[in-house]
Amino acid sequence: MQRFFFNKRLIIVLVTLIIGFLLIAFSITVRNNKATPPLVQQFGNDAVGIVDRVVGYPVTGIEKAGATVSDLLSTYSENQKLKSQVDSLAAEKASEETLQRENSQLKKQLKLNKSLTNFQKISAYAISRAPSSWQNQVTISKGSLSGIKKNAAVLSQEGLVGRVTEVNKASSKVELISSTNDTANRFATQILAESGEINGLITSYDKDSNRLIMGQITSQKKIKKGDKVITSGMGGNSPKGIYVGSVSKVEKDDYGLASKIEIKPAADLTDLTVVTVANRTD
Amino acid sequence: MRIPKMRYFFPLGLFFTLFLDGALSNAFSKQMFTLSFSIESRIFILWLVMCVCFTDLNRPYLWAICVGLVFDLYYTGIIGPFTMIVPLIVYLTKTMYSFFKPSFIVVLLIYLIDITLVTFLFYLINAMIGFTNSSMADFISMTLGPTLAYNLAVFVVLYIPVQRFIETFSR
Repeated sequence: MQRFFFNKRLIIVLVTLIIGFLLIAFSITVRNNKATPPLVQQFGNDAVGIVDRVVGYPVTGIEKAGATVSDLLSTYSENQKLKSQVDSLAAEKASEETLQRENSQLKKQLKLNKSLTNFQKISAYAISRAPSSWQNQVTISKGSLSGIKKNAAVLSQEGLVGRVTEVNKASSKVELISSTNDTANRFATQILAESGEINGLITSYDKDSNRLIMGQITSQKKIKKGDKVITSGMGGNSPKGIYVGSVSKVEKDDYGLASKIEIKPAADLTDLTVVTVANRTD
Repeated sequence: MRIPKMRYFFPLGLFFTLFLDGALSNAFSKQMFTLSFSIESRIFILWLVMCVCFTDLNRPYLWAICVGLVFDLYYTGIIGPFTMIVPLIVYLTKTMYSFFKPSFIVVLLIYLIDITLVTFLFYLINAMIGFTNSSMADFISMTLGPTLAYNLAVFVVLYIPVQRFIETFSR
Protein backbone atom coordinates (compact mmCIF):
# COMPACT_ATOMS: atom_id res chain seq x y z
CA MET A 1 0.00 0.00 0.00
CA GLN A 2 2.82 2.38 0.96
CA ARG A 3 4.59 1.64 -2.32
CA PHE A 4 1.44 2.34 -4.30
CA PHE A 5 1.05 5.79 -2.75
CA PHE A 6 4.67 6.63 -3.35
CA ASN A 7 4.29 5.75 -7.02
CA LYS A 8 1.08 7.72 -7.33
CA ARG A 9 2.71 10.84 -5.89
CA LEU A 10 5.73 10.43 -8.15
CA ILE A 11 3.49 10.12 -11.19
CA ILE A 12 1.56 13.28 -10.23
CA VAL A 13 4.80 15.23 -9.84
CA LEU A 14 6.19 14.00 -13.16
CA VAL A 15 2.99 14.68 -15.08
CA THR A 16 2.80 18.18 -13.58
CA LEU A 17 6.39 18.90 -14.57
CA ILE A 18 5.84 17.67 -18.12
CA ILE A 19 2.65 19.69 -18.56
CA GLY A 20 4.35 22.74 -17.05
CA PHE A 21 7.31 22.61 -19.41
CA LEU A 22 5.06 21.97 -22.41
CA LEU A 23 3.11 25.09 -21.48
CA ILE A 24 6.35 27.10 -21.19
CA ALA A 25 7.50 25.87 -24.60
CA PHE A 26 4.11 26.63 -26.11
CA SER A 27 3.97 30.19 -24.78
CA ILE A 28 7.51 30.97 -25.95
CA THR A 29 6.60 29.78 -29.45
CA VAL A 30 3.50 31.98 -29.45
CA ARG A 31 5.52 34.92 -28.17
CA ASN A 32 8.14 34.56 -30.89
CA ASN A 33 6.00 33.71 -33.88
CA LYS A 34 2.37 34.70 -33.61
CA ALA A 35 0.92 38.18 -33.83
CA THR A 36 -1.58 37.60 -31.03
CA PRO A 37 -1.95 34.98 -28.31
CA PRO A 38 -4.86 32.46 -28.50
CA LEU A 39 -8.33 33.94 -28.11
CA VAL A 40 -8.92 32.46 -24.64
CA GLN A 41 -5.71 34.01 -23.38
CA GLN A 42 -6.64 37.38 -24.90
CA PHE A 43 -10.03 37.48 -23.18
CA GLY A 44 -8.51 36.33 -19.91
CA ASN A 45 -5.87 39.03 -20.03
CA ASP A 46 -8.43 41.73 -20.86
CA ALA A 47 -10.71 40.69 -18.01
CA VAL A 48 -7.76 40.69 -15.60
CA GLY A 49 -6.67 44.06 -17.00
CA ILE A 50 -10.00 45.66 -16.10
CA VAL A 51 -9.85 44.39 -12.51
CA ASP A 52 -6.23 45.47 -12.26
CA ARG A 53 -7.14 49.03 -13.28
CA VAL A 54 -9.54 49.22 -10.33
CA VAL A 55 -6.89 47.97 -7.89
CA GLY A 56 -4.13 50.09 -9.41
CA TYR A 57 -6.08 53.35 -9.24
CA PRO A 58 -5.61 54.12 -5.51
CA VAL A 59 -1.94 53.03 -5.65
CA THR A 60 -1.28 55.46 -8.49
CA GLY A 61 -3.07 58.09 -6.43
CA ILE A 62 -0.70 57.55 -3.50
CA GLU A 63 2.30 57.64 -5.80
CA LYS A 64 1.06 60.86 -7.43
CA ALA A 65 0.62 62.52 -4.03
CA GLY A 66 4.23 61.68 -3.17
CA ALA A 67 5.44 62.94 -6.52
CA THR A 68 3.50 66.20 -6.09
CA VAL A 69 5.28 66.98 -2.83
CA SER A 70 8.73 66.29 -4.26
CA ASP A 71 7.83 68.31 -7.38
CA LEU A 72 6.86 71.25 -5.23
CA LEU A 73 10.21 71.16 -3.42
CA SER A 74 12.24 71.28 -6.60
CA THR A 75 10.04 73.75 -8.45
CA TYR A 76 12.18 76.84 -7.93
CA SER A 77 15.48 75.47 -9.22
CA GLU A 78 13.70 73.79 -12.10
CA ASN A 79 11.97 77.02 -13.02
CA GLN A 80 15.31 78.85 -13.20
CA LYS A 81 16.70 76.19 -15.52
CA LEU A 82 13.64 76.10 -17.73
CA LYS A 83 13.50 79.88 -18.14
CA SER A 84 16.85 79.83 -19.86
CA GLN A 85 15.66 77.18 -22.28
CA VAL A 86 12.30 78.70 -23.20
CA ASP A 87 13.69 81.45 -25.44
CA SER A 88 15.69 79.12 -27.64
CA LEU A 89 12.76 76.69 -27.79
CA ALA A 90 10.44 79.18 -29.48
CA ALA A 91 12.99 79.86 -32.20
CA GLU A 92 13.61 76.15 -32.70
CA LYS A 93 9.90 75.46 -32.94
CA ALA A 94 9.45 78.07 -35.64
CA SER A 95 12.31 76.74 -37.71
CA GLU A 96 11.10 73.17 -37.23
CA GLU A 97 7.67 74.12 -38.49
CA THR A 98 9.10 75.72 -41.62
CA LEU A 99 11.26 72.69 -42.25
CA GLN A 100 8.32 70.35 -41.77
CA ARG A 101 6.24 72.34 -44.22
CA GLU A 102 9.06 72.39 -46.73
CA ASN A 103 9.54 68.66 -46.23
CA SER A 104 5.91 67.86 -46.92
CA GLN A 105 5.97 70.09 -50.03
CA LEU A 106 9.08 68.35 -51.32
CA LYS A 107 7.54 64.97 -50.60
CA LYS A 108 4.48 66.01 -52.59
CA GLN A 109 6.63 67.09 -55.53
CA LEU A 110 8.44 63.77 -55.44
CA LYS A 111 5.05 61.99 -55.25
CA LEU A 112 6.37 60.34 -52.06
CA ASN A 113 3.32 59.72 -49.92
CA LYS A 114 4.85 57.63 -47.21
CA SER A 115 8.34 57.37 -45.88
CA LEU A 116 10.05 55.67 -42.97
CA THR A 117 9.54 58.65 -40.71
CA ASN A 118 5.74 58.48 -40.85
CA PHE A 119 4.03 56.89 -37.90
CA GLN A 120 0.71 56.90 -36.14
CA LYS A 121 0.79 57.75 -32.45
CA ILE A 122 -1.37 55.86 -29.96
CA SER A 123 -1.15 56.98 -26.34
CA ALA A 124 -1.76 54.56 -23.51
CA TYR A 125 -1.00 54.44 -19.83
CA ALA A 126 0.95 51.81 -17.98
CA ILE A 127 -1.36 49.70 -15.77
CA SER A 128 1.16 47.52 -14.01
CA ARG A 129 4.66 46.16 -14.14
CA ALA A 130 5.58 42.49 -13.85
CA PRO A 131 6.78 41.97 -10.26
CA SER A 132 9.81 40.06 -11.50
CA SER A 133 13.50 40.78 -11.96
CA TRP A 134 13.72 38.77 -15.14
CA GLN A 135 10.88 40.18 -17.18
CA ASN A 136 11.21 43.90 -17.72
CA GLN A 137 7.63 44.06 -18.84
CA VAL A 138 4.91 46.66 -18.50
CA THR A 139 1.22 46.16 -19.26
CA ILE A 140 -0.37 49.09 -21.10
CA SER A 141 -4.02 50.02 -21.41
CA LYS A 142 -4.59 49.75 -25.18
CA GLY A 143 -4.69 46.77 -27.50
CA SER A 144 -5.64 45.60 -30.95
CA LEU A 145 -8.96 47.47 -30.77
CA SER A 146 -7.00 50.74 -30.74
CA GLY A 147 -4.81 49.53 -33.60
CA ILE A 148 -1.68 48.44 -31.73
CA LYS A 149 0.41 45.92 -33.63
CA LYS A 150 2.97 43.44 -32.36
CA ASN A 151 6.61 44.59 -32.45
CA ALA A 152 5.68 48.27 -32.68
CA ALA A 153 8.11 50.65 -30.98
CA VAL A 154 7.03 52.25 -27.71
CA LEU A 155 8.25 55.64 -26.53
CA SER A 156 7.91 57.89 -23.54
CA GLN A 157 8.15 61.67 -23.64
CA GLU A 158 11.95 61.46 -23.67
CA GLY A 159 12.59 58.65 -26.12
CA LEU A 160 12.45 54.96 -26.97
CA VAL A 161 11.46 52.64 -24.12
CA GLY A 162 10.66 49.27 -25.70
CA ARG A 163 8.58 47.21 -28.06
CA VAL A 164 5.18 45.50 -27.96
CA THR A 165 5.49 41.75 -27.37
CA GLU A 166 1.89 40.68 -26.90
CA VAL A 167 -1.32 42.26 -28.16
CA ASN A 168 -4.67 41.51 -26.54
CA LYS A 169 -7.99 43.17 -27.36
CA ALA A 170 -7.76 45.96 -24.80
CA SER A 171 -4.31 45.64 -23.26
CA SER A 172 -0.83 44.74 -24.42
CA LYS A 173 2.56 43.93 -22.98
CA VAL A 174 5.64 46.02 -23.60
CA GLU A 175 9.14 44.64 -23.20
CA LEU A 176 11.50 47.41 -22.11
CA ILE A 177 14.84 47.96 -23.84
CA SER A 178 16.53 47.08 -20.55
CA SER A 179 15.64 43.39 -20.92
CA THR A 180 18.54 41.11 -21.66
CA ASN A 181 16.74 37.99 -22.84
CA ASP A 182 18.00 36.07 -25.85
CA THR A 183 14.86 36.37 -27.91
CA ALA A 184 14.47 40.14 -27.61
CA ASN A 185 14.08 41.85 -30.95
CA ARG A 186 16.95 44.20 -31.62
CA PHE A 187 16.36 47.78 -32.66
CA ALA A 188 18.12 49.04 -35.78
CA THR A 189 19.69 52.35 -34.86
CA GLN A 190 21.62 55.14 -36.48
CA ILE A 191 24.22 57.53 -35.06
CA LEU A 192 23.98 61.10 -36.27
CA ALA A 193 27.69 61.99 -36.28
CA GLU A 194 29.27 65.06 -37.86
CA SER A 195 30.88 62.89 -40.51
CA GLY A 196 27.54 61.37 -41.50
CA GLU A 197 25.08 58.69 -40.51
CA ILE A 198 26.31 55.38 -39.12
CA ASN A 199 24.01 52.35 -38.99
CA GLY A 200 24.08 49.58 -36.44
CA LEU A 201 22.03 47.45 -34.09
CA ILE A 202 21.39 47.59 -30.36
CA THR A 203 22.88 44.26 -29.35
CA SER A 204 22.59 44.23 -25.59
CA TYR A 205 22.06 46.17 -22.39
CA ASP A 206 24.55 46.66 -19.58
CA LYS A 207 22.57 46.35 -16.36
CA ASP A 208 25.31 47.65 -14.04
CA SER A 209 25.85 50.98 -15.76
CA ASN A 210 22.43 51.46 -17.44
CA ARG A 211 23.89 51.65 -20.96
CA LEU A 212 22.64 50.23 -24.24
CA ILE A 213 25.35 48.55 -26.29
CA MET A 214 25.29 49.20 -30.03
CA GLY A 215 27.25 46.88 -32.28
CA GLN A 216 27.34 45.53 -35.84
CA ILE A 217 28.95 48.76 -36.99
CA THR A 218 31.10 48.43 -40.09
CA SER A 219 31.57 52.09 -40.92
CA GLN A 220 34.96 53.68 -40.23
CA LYS A 221 33.51 57.17 -39.70
CA LYS A 222 34.48 59.08 -36.58
CA ILE A 223 32.01 58.92 -33.71
CA LYS A 224 32.14 61.43 -30.89
CA LYS A 225 30.90 61.25 -27.33
CA GLY A 226 27.51 62.97 -27.13
CA ASP A 227 26.41 62.21 -30.70
CA LYS A 228 22.67 61.57 -30.92
CA VAL A 229 21.33 58.09 -31.67
CA ILE A 230 17.95 57.51 -33.36
CA THR A 231 16.12 54.46 -34.69
CA SER A 232 16.90 53.93 -38.35
CA GLY A 233 13.64 52.34 -39.47
CA MET A 234 15.43 49.36 -40.96
CA GLY A 235 14.04 45.95 -40.14
CA GLY A 236 10.44 46.96 -40.63
CA ASN A 237 9.19 47.30 -37.06
CA SER A 238 10.05 50.75 -35.81
CA PRO A 239 9.72 54.04 -37.70
CA LYS A 240 12.76 56.18 -38.42
CA GLY A 241 13.76 59.06 -36.21
CA ILE A 242 12.77 58.01 -32.69
CA TYR A 243 15.32 59.36 -30.23
CA VAL A 244 17.15 56.58 -28.37
CA GLY A 245 19.89 58.41 -26.48
CA SER A 246 23.38 59.80 -26.79
CA VAL A 247 26.75 58.15 -27.25
CA SER A 248 28.63 57.87 -23.96
CA LYS A 249 31.63 55.72 -24.90
CA VAL A 250 33.27 54.43 -28.08
CA GLU A 251 35.54 51.40 -28.21
CA LYS A 252 36.55 48.54 -30.49
CA ASP A 253 34.66 45.28 -30.01
CA ASP A 254 36.26 42.04 -28.86
CA TYR A 255 37.60 41.23 -32.32
CA GLY A 256 38.98 44.70 -33.06
CA LEU A 257 36.96 45.05 -36.24
CA ALA A 258 33.81 47.05 -35.63
CA SER A 259 33.26 49.62 -32.94
CA LYS A 260 31.22 48.91 -29.86
CA ILE A 261 29.32 51.93 -28.69
CA GLU A 262 27.72 52.59 -25.35
CA ILE A 263 24.53 54.64 -25.45
CA LYS A 264 23.00 56.46 -22.53
CA PRO A 265 19.24 55.93 -22.96
CA ALA A 266 17.22 59.15 -22.99
CA ALA A 267 14.10 57.71 -21.40
CA ASP A 268 13.83 56.87 -17.71
CA LEU A 269 12.68 53.24 -17.78
CA THR A 270 11.61 53.22 -14.15
CA ASP A 271 9.18 56.09 -14.42
CA LEU A 272 6.50 55.13 -16.94
CA THR A 273 2.97 56.39 -16.54
CA VAL A 274 1.99 57.42 -20.07
CA VAL A 275 3.58 55.89 -23.15
CA THR A 276 3.10 56.33 -26.89
CA VAL A 277 3.00 53.41 -29.29
CA ALA A 278 4.45 54.26 -32.70
CA ASN A 279 2.67 52.27 -35.39
CA ARG A 280 4.41 52.45 -38.74
CA THR A 281 2.02 53.59 -41.43
CA ASP A 282 3.92 52.56 -44.54
CA MET B 1 -24.40 25.19 9.63
CA ARG B 2 -23.00 28.56 8.66
CA ILE B 3 -20.37 28.82 5.97
CA PRO B 4 -17.41 30.89 7.20
CA LYS B 5 -16.91 34.09 5.19
CA MET B 6 -13.25 33.22 4.68
CA ARG B 7 -14.39 30.86 1.93
CA TYR B 8 -15.12 33.91 -0.22
CA PHE B 9 -12.50 36.24 1.15
CA PHE B 10 -9.62 33.83 0.47
CA PRO B 11 -9.78 33.87 -3.37
CA LEU B 12 -10.81 37.55 -3.45
CA GLY B 13 -7.87 38.52 -1.26
CA LEU B 14 -5.54 36.34 -3.30
CA PHE B 15 -6.34 38.15 -6.54
CA PHE B 16 -6.44 41.56 -4.85
CA THR B 17 -2.94 41.09 -3.43
CA LEU B 18 -1.72 39.78 -6.79
CA PHE B 19 -2.82 42.97 -8.54
CA LEU B 20 -1.48 45.02 -5.66
CA ASP B 21 1.96 43.51 -6.37
CA GLY B 22 1.81 44.65 -10.00
CA ALA B 23 0.47 48.10 -9.17
CA LEU B 24 3.12 48.65 -6.46
CA SER B 25 5.88 47.45 -8.79
CA ASN B 26 4.78 49.96 -11.41
CA ALA B 27 4.22 52.89 -9.08
CA PHE B 28 7.46 52.45 -7.17
CA SER B 29 9.59 50.98 -9.96
CA LYS B 30 12.13 53.75 -9.42
CA GLN B 31 12.79 52.43 -5.92
CA MET B 32 12.24 48.73 -6.62
CA PHE B 33 14.14 48.16 -9.85
CA THR B 34 17.39 50.07 -9.50
CA LEU B 35 20.78 49.43 -11.07
CA SER B 36 22.24 47.69 -8.03
CA PHE B 37 19.26 45.62 -6.88
CA SER B 38 15.73 44.64 -7.81
CA ILE B 39 12.88 43.74 -5.50
CA GLU B 40 10.10 41.33 -6.35
CA SER B 41 6.94 42.14 -4.44
CA ARG B 42 5.17 38.96 -3.31
CA ILE B 43 2.29 40.09 -1.12
CA PHE B 44 0.02 37.38 -2.56
CA ILE B 45 2.34 34.69 -1.17
CA LEU B 46 1.94 36.35 2.24
CA TRP B 47 -1.85 36.14 1.98
CA LEU B 48 -1.62 32.52 0.77
CA VAL B 49 0.71 31.40 3.57
CA MET B 50 -1.27 33.15 6.31
CA CYS B 51 -4.56 31.71 5.05
CA VAL B 52 -3.11 28.20 4.88
CA CYS B 53 -1.76 28.56 8.43
CA PHE B 54 -4.70 30.21 10.20
CA THR B 55 -7.80 28.84 8.56
CA ASP B 56 -9.27 25.70 7.12
CA LEU B 57 -9.42 26.34 3.40
CA ASN B 58 -11.93 24.87 1.02
CA ARG B 59 -9.90 24.16 -2.12
CA PRO B 60 -6.42 25.66 -1.63
CA TYR B 61 -4.75 23.82 -4.53
CA LEU B 62 -7.38 24.85 -7.06
CA TRP B 63 -7.08 28.51 -6.13
CA ALA B 64 -3.29 28.27 -6.02
CA ILE B 65 -3.22 26.96 -9.59
CA CYS B 66 -5.70 29.67 -10.67
CA VAL B 67 -3.69 32.52 -9.17
CA GLY B 68 -0.43 31.12 -10.57
CA LEU B 69 -1.97 30.89 -14.02
CA VAL B 70 -3.23 34.48 -13.85
CA PHE B 71 0.24 35.64 -12.77
CA ASP B 72 1.83 33.86 -15.74
CA LEU B 73 -0.75 34.98 -18.28
CA TYR B 74 -1.06 38.56 -17.18
CA TYR B 75 2.40 39.59 -16.01
CA THR B 76 4.96 37.51 -17.85
CA GLY B 77 3.11 35.88 -20.76
CA ILE B 78 5.05 32.65 -20.18
CA ILE B 79 2.54 30.10 -18.93
CA GLY B 80 3.92 27.53 -16.52
CA PRO B 81 6.38 28.76 -13.88
CA PHE B 82 3.99 30.14 -11.27
CA THR B 83 1.26 27.65 -12.16
CA MET B 84 3.68 25.00 -10.88
CA ILE B 85 5.35 26.96 -8.06
CA VAL B 86 2.28 28.25 -6.17
CA PRO B 87 0.65 24.81 -5.51
CA LEU B 88 4.07 23.58 -4.40
CA ILE B 89 4.20 26.44 -1.90
CA VAL B 90 0.77 25.47 -0.52
CA TYR B 91 1.91 21.86 -0.12
CA LEU B 92 5.19 22.82 1.56
CA THR B 93 3.52 25.30 3.90
CA LYS B 94 0.96 22.70 4.97
CA THR B 95 3.67 20.08 5.54
CA MET B 96 5.98 22.41 7.48
CA TYR B 97 3.15 23.89 9.52
CA SER B 98 1.95 20.50 10.73
CA PHE B 99 5.15 20.16 12.80
CA PHE B 100 4.76 23.41 14.74
CA LYS B 101 2.41 25.30 17.01
CA PRO B 102 1.19 28.57 15.48
CA SER B 103 3.18 31.65 16.46
CA PHE B 104 4.55 34.78 14.84
CA ILE B 105 8.08 33.40 14.49
CA VAL B 106 6.99 30.07 13.01
CA VAL B 107 4.83 31.70 10.32
CA LEU B 108 7.61 34.20 9.63
CA LEU B 109 10.17 31.44 9.09
CA ILE B 110 7.84 29.40 6.89
CA TYR B 111 7.10 32.55 4.88
CA LEU B 112 10.80 33.33 4.39
CA ILE B 113 11.52 29.76 3.25
CA ASP B 114 8.63 30.02 0.79
CA ILE B 115 9.82 33.36 -0.61
CA THR B 116 13.37 32.03 -1.03
CA LEU B 117 12.06 28.98 -2.84
CA VAL B 118 9.73 30.99 -5.12
CA THR B 119 12.47 33.45 -6.06
CA PHE B 120 15.05 30.74 -6.60
CA LEU B 121 12.82 28.45 -8.70
CA PHE B 122 11.61 31.40 -10.77
CA TYR B 123 15.24 32.38 -11.41
CA LEU B 124 16.14 28.80 -12.40
CA ILE B 125 13.29 28.54 -14.89
CA ASN B 126 14.10 31.93 -16.39
CA ALA B 127 17.78 31.07 -16.66
CA MET B 128 16.83 27.81 -18.37
CA ILE B 129 14.67 29.45 -21.04
CA GLY B 130 17.22 32.18 -21.66
CA PHE B 131 15.40 35.17 -20.17
CA THR B 132 18.29 36.05 -17.92
CA ASN B 133 22.00 35.42 -17.98
CA SER B 134 22.90 36.74 -14.54
CA SER B 135 25.12 34.46 -12.48
CA MET B 136 24.14 32.76 -9.24
CA ALA B 137 26.23 35.22 -7.20
CA ASP B 138 24.54 38.17 -8.91
CA PHE B 139 21.15 36.61 -8.34
CA ILE B 140 21.75 36.15 -4.62
CA SER B 141 23.10 39.63 -4.00
CA MET B 142 20.95 41.62 -6.42
CA THR B 143 17.57 39.90 -6.28
CA LEU B 144 17.24 37.35 -3.50
CA GLY B 145 18.64 39.51 -0.68
CA PRO B 146 16.60 42.66 -1.36
CA THR B 147 13.48 40.61 -2.13
CA LEU B 148 13.73 38.82 1.22
CA ALA B 149 14.33 42.10 3.06
CA TYR B 150 11.35 43.81 1.42
CA ASN B 151 8.99 40.90 1.93
CA LEU B 152 10.11 40.52 5.54
CA ALA B 153 9.30 44.17 6.18
CA VAL B 154 5.88 43.78 4.54
CA PHE B 155 5.23 40.69 6.65
CA VAL B 156 6.06 42.45 9.91
CA VAL B 157 3.75 45.33 9.02
CA LEU B 158 0.85 43.23 7.74
CA TYR B 159 0.97 40.25 10.15
CA ILE B 160 -1.34 41.55 12.86
CA PRO B 161 -3.99 43.15 10.60
CA VAL B 162 -4.16 40.09 8.34
CA GLN B 163 -4.33 37.70 11.31
CA ARG B 164 -7.16 39.71 12.90
CA PHE B 165 -8.98 39.77 9.56
CA ILE B 166 -8.71 36.00 9.13
CA GLU B 167 -9.74 35.32 12.75
CA THR B 168 -12.79 37.56 12.43
CA PHE B 169 -14.08 36.01 9.25
CA SER B 170 -13.25 32.36 9.73
CA ARG B 171 -15.69 31.98 12.62
